[in-house]
Amino acid sequence: MLNAYFGDYITVAVFMAVGALLVAGAIFASSLIAPRRPGGFKEVVYESGIEPIGGGWNQSHIRYYVFALLFLIFDVEAIFMFPWAIRLDFFAEAGLGITVLVEMIVFVVVLVLGLLYALAKGVLRWE
Amino acid sequence: MIDYHALAPAAVLGLTVVAALVVDLVVRRKVWVAVVSLVGLFGAFVPLLTLAFCEPLLGCASTTRELFGGSYVVDGYALVLGAVFLATAFVAVLLSVDYIESDRYYEGEYFFLLLAAALGGVVMASARDFVTLIVALELVSGPGFLLAGWRKADERSNEAALKFFISGVLALALLVFGVSLVYGLTGTQLFAELAAVDPDVAELPLFSLGLLFVLVGFGFKVSAVPFHFWTPDTYQGAPTPVTAWLAVGSKTAGFVGLLSVVFLAFPQLRHVWGPMVWVVAAASMIVGNVVAIKQDHIVRLLGYSSIAHAGFILAPIAAMAGAPAEALPLAFYAAVAYLLVYAVMNLGAFGVAVAGIAKVGSGKLSSWRGLFRHSPSLAVMMAIFFFSLAGIPPLAGWFAKLAMFQAAVGADNPWGLSIAVVAVLNSVVAIYYYAKPVVAAFFEEAPAELQLAEAGAASSPAMRLALGLAVVGVLVLGVVPGVVAVLGRYTTSLLTLGG
Repeated sequence: MLNAYFGDYITVAVFMAVGALLVAGAIFASSLIAPRRPGGFKEVVYESGIEPIGGGWNQSHIRYYVFALLFLIFDVEAIFMFPWAIRLDFFAEAGLGITVLVEMIVFVVVLVLGLLYALAKGVLRWE
Repeated sequence: MIDYHALAPAAVLGLTVVAALVVDLVVRRKVWVAVVSLVGLFGAFVPLLTLAFCEPLLGCASTTRELFGGSYVVDGYALVLGAVFLATAFVAVLLSVDYIESDRYYEGEYFFLLLAAALGGVVMASARDFVTLIVALELVSGPGFLLAGWRKADERSNEAALKFFISGVLALALLVFGVSLVYGLTGTQLFAELAAVDPDVAELPLFSLGLLFVLVGFGFKVSAVPFHFWTPDTYQGAPTPVTAWLAVGSKTAGFVGLLSVVFLAFPQLRHVWGPMVWVVAAASMIVGNVVAIKQDHIVRLLGYSSIAHAGFILAPIAAMAGAPAEALPLAFYAAVAYLLVYAVMNLGAFGVAVAGIAKVGSGKLSSWRGLFRHSPSLAVMMAIFFFSLAGIPPLAGWFAKLAMFQAAVGADNPWGLSIAVVAVLNSVVAIYYYAKPVVAAFFEEAPAELQLAEAGAASSPAMRLALGLAVVGVLVLGVVPGVVAVLGRYTTSLLTLGG
């Protein structure tokens, strides 16, 4: 059983080696075949990207961090809700439908309370 | 159906966490947040009691209740340790009220964070699989990082939070990595199933490596040598009431997790984890005690003393290295008994530190000289808690040490006997550094330039209540150690299953 377990890793290793070979081969082949015309529009940011301003070590305001955190909370909430929604049928058949629904409402309400708290403390004001 | 009665202690505490947040928004005087916290912590005791006395009172089939497929279990161990976390948070809130009120960094989230950490402790005591355990551990640690850095403009407080955060996150990473190895080899992360895992799998080096990583992760959490380096700086830099919580609540949570893992998940692997714990226990006792001798700041002194005590609590676990399965309940009992006593006496000692720093204005032991002349009651309490930490009867500390020696020697193998010898030698060293500041407080003159604070945080009603509770606890547990023995035995009932 254990050899089969470690054997799975060999499959992964082979897969990765083949993948690396494939990429290397493609790059090598294109370097042989492709025509070369450097300069011009090839230097600009790809399609819809914005022209970068300043260096990579620019400081950004702490406000962004707070917003990112608040966003993350609801992002993670959504991740929790997907498996819950998929298993809802199973719980409903077991007669736990209402219980499970209430549990999720409690979860969302607690998170919304956190957002209201942030709102009341003035964290969301951008000035 | 979901057993809401079993979840009630955590649910009441969870409601209190939310209530603290809402009340903080509504009321102007923040002391009401503390009142709500205290009421909620007290309220969470009620379901603990109804669960503990379920059989005679409500006619339940059994005190032990399993939820969520055995991931969350309410039994004697969960109830006793849950009560320890509630009581610790209760005293920590009492210690904080005036300190935080008089501080210019006051924000309502303080009690919210403290309560959230206490909730993590209660969940930890019931966690019987690795995922629940890790969630609980992070619920204890996360608020701790924020609380340690509470004094935002204070460099030391920032240093405390940063060191605590980095070592805490490293510990979590190691722990999760270890768990992933164990899970990968066994396909389960439920303690009950891990205890019955195929011995062929359990003997693999990779499995031992996973176990090692798990132990190292807990080593950080309980600040055992060589994973202790963050402890003195964090303890000194954090606000002292927060330190009281970190040294008792947070550390107990680490030990509860460690005890669950080694005794419930891997009891048959004691020849693997026993020697690892032996090294850490001996190193903690020696380094903690020897370095404590040179300390001149009361919080650093208590910090190193808490490292040394981590070694004492680990000693009965280390003794299991070559012990038969029948010895396990006694070691488990000894560790739990030590945790109970440690919580009471260390809360008291940190309470004295909070009150004393408010009174003499500094944690430097030089300004604590002559404490008895101007604050006799504080000096007497300092003597009580310090001698209890040293293990002198009739104060509670002696019984904890007795239980520890009984378990270590009773395990009847070289590992147990050798760790007992290390513990005896260190107990002697400990008496010296605990007695020195007490003697100075009683028999030396106060420094001439000392500026005493009038009234304030040092003698507020909340502080008196907190210290009073701790003094009564230390005296009662010391004179009637049967209380600890009964509670400790109560927790070991679950070990008859795993053996």
